Amino acid sequence: MRRDRLEATLRRLAGLLAVVAVAAALVAACDRGSSGGPSITVVIAEYSKDHTRPFWQALAEQYTKQGGGKVDLRIIDWNSIDQQVSTMIQNNQPPDVLNLNSFSSYARDGLLYPADDVLSPATKTDFLESFARGGQYKGTLYGLPILSSARAFFYNKDLFAKAGLAAPPKTWDELVQAAKKVQALGGGAIGYALPLGPEEAQAEWAIWMWNGGGDWKAGDAWAINSEANVRTLTFLADLANRHRVTQVNPGKSNRTDGAFQLFKDGKVGMVIGFSPLARQLDAERKVDYGVAEMPTSLAKPVTLGVEDYLMAFKKKDNREAVKKFLDLYYQPDNITKWITAEGFLPVTKSGLERMRADATLKPYLDALPNARLVPTTDPAWDRVKLDVQQNLGLAVQPGGNPKQVLDQLQRNAVAAAAAR
Amino acid sequence: MRGRRWEALLWLGPSLALIAGVVFYPAVALVRASLGRYSITGVFQGFVGTENYTRLLEQPALPTVLANTAVWVAAVVGVTMVVSLGLAQLLNQAFPGRWLVRAALIVPWAASLIMTSKLFVWIYDYYFGALNHLLTSLGLLAQPVDWLGEDSTVMAAMIAVGIFVSLPFTTYVLLAGLAGIPGEVYEAARVDGASTWTAYRLVTLPLLKPALLVAVVLNIIYVFNSFPIVWTLNDRNPGFGHDTMITYMYKIAFKSALRDVGLAAALGVVNVALILVAVVVYLRTVRWEEAGA
Repeated sequence: MRRDRLEATLRRLAGLLAVVAVAAALVAACDRGSSGGPSITVVIAEYSKDHTRPFWQALAEQYTKQGGGKVDLRIIDWNSIDQQVSTMIQNNQPPDVLNLNSFSSYARDGLLYPADDVLSPATKTDFLESFARGGQYKGTLYGLPILSSARAFFYNKDLFAKAGLAAPPKTWDELVQAAKKVQALGGGAIGYALPLGPEEAQAEWAIWMWNGGGDWKAGDAWAINSEANVRTLTFLADLANRHRVTQVNPGKSNRTDGAFQLFKDGKVGMVIGFSPLARQLDAERKVDYGVAEMPTSLAKPVTLGVEDYLMAFKKKDNREAVKKFLDLYYQPDNITKWITAEGFLPVTKSGLERMRADATLKPYLDALPNARLVPTTDPAWDRVKLDVQQNLGLAVQPGGNPKQVLDQLQRNAVAAAAAR
Repeated sequence: MRGRRWEALLWLGPSLALIAGVVFYPAVALVRASLGRYSITGVFQGFVGTENYTRLLEQPALPTVLANTAVWVAAVVGVTMVVSLGLAQLLNQAFPGRWLVRAALIVPWAASLIMTSKLFVWIYDYYFGALNHLLTSLGLLAQPVDWLGEDSTVMAAMIAVGIFVSLPFTTYVLLAGLAGIPGEVYEAARVDGASTWTAYRLVTLPLLKPALLVAVVLNIIYVFNSFPIVWTLNDRNPGFGHDTMITYMYKIAFKSALRDVGLAAALGVVNVALILVAVVVYLRTVRWEEAGA
């Protein structure tokens, strides 16, 4: 009898303790925010496993120490960042600061602060002209340049020597000849690695398209299926199917685990790469590579410049906090430290001065003034980019039809521009 | 007596809350999303009635995706059932090391699907893959094959991985079913002069019917809803030529030029309806009310 009563009491006590513990955990889990100010959510894309998180973590801690609030830092890889940001916005929980490679759709939906509201004037005037222009929507700067990269033409010096090639090709005919010679070496050698898979097809295509004399738009109207572009895409399809100087199924291979991996393995004669690839090659020391200008059918070669953006979302009472955070990032020491660590290129005049001293960046910094940007200022581009990524590879597959693919892309682009 | 009802509600409360939050609320949110229009950024722009459903029917890729899904589910479930019957029979016999084989069989089921899929992406790779290396060294292949790139081999490659990860669960369900068959039934069959194959066909299979039913229904649902395998193995391929309804839905929402949450939600509702119809039709066909009688 007594034991039963003791057990009952003990059980009730245990139940009470459990409830108290859960309540305490819930209270502790609630975000109180620090005394310094409202907490902000910062979403950054994962550029590299080694450098992105350490830098931004340190920056967040510096921000909190300097009297800012807490920073909820989220580093998200490129494959999922679009989906996660879309989900955040659907749930009415947008981040305060977002790093992404597009911005104009968010600006069009009225979600962003203009630069004048969240940047000090000194920072705003420090941006390089072309990058500042690339962040404007309807004349106002919304997309703050965070870093840039420029593509360059990489070639394998060993394979070139074996194939008897003295110099990298400057024209498209020379490119075909060089690729054929490298492919003829046998043993799995590939002339030119062409990545038109869904990862970054628009980047590879943009470079060839411009060097073929075409462009995304003619004036204000989309011109994806212009004659020059059809000729260029047919040229790429021929590389794959007629001359057979590319890797297998180029329409289905991506840059990172396809073309770059093969080049790092020493199997590829030529590829279009950028400074992070160069750093990886330097670290691995397996391939003796050279960097040259793009082969072109024009008088002067054109290369692709890419800028990524930081943007600030309009939320209640977060303007000051966001401004403090952005100003901290744009201090020349901070921004240059991160861009150098990741191997990318500067977007500010002060950054450019500091990074000129690095000799390995010379080919890219030289290419930067001639680099063209994709039309990120047009909200329709967000759809066009995805369309190109998902569908362009079909044109270079055996039996693919370049004109048909470009016509379809053009139709979709015009529809996207006409839609709200 | 009134008090007992409230007491029951109190005890059921947490479970009901969980079901409401994890099952009902997302379903309601999905239907609500399918009736709305969303900007490419995710901003909700108002209700549009059934417009998303009509637009869905106009999508040019839909017939291909439907056909792919039918092939995917039929092939994976069908082959898994046949192979699992054999495996369950094998593991039902006593042999030295049986416990080891039974434990090893759990591994494809226990490993995360994404990890398994990534592993197979590298095994199937044209340049670096172990499969091509093995087959060309053995002389079975003259040239390496781009298993995940060639349109003719992608579906088969994905189905092989689907079967690989479905075998453990199905085998264990059938093993449990086999363990429930009393030995006297076989004795009676032997006395009646039945051969091994006749005994299997007329004794074992009918008595396995409940377990088979469970395994097939669950497999149809799991395989239809399977996202990681198709997504990872089909990752490098442009277009929608090898997508199933589930990966197509994800691409509509986040990856294709459509970037349309409303349209994807409509497809989500259609998917649920589809799988419901498929399961009900199947159960009707095998007359499940009579099973296990």
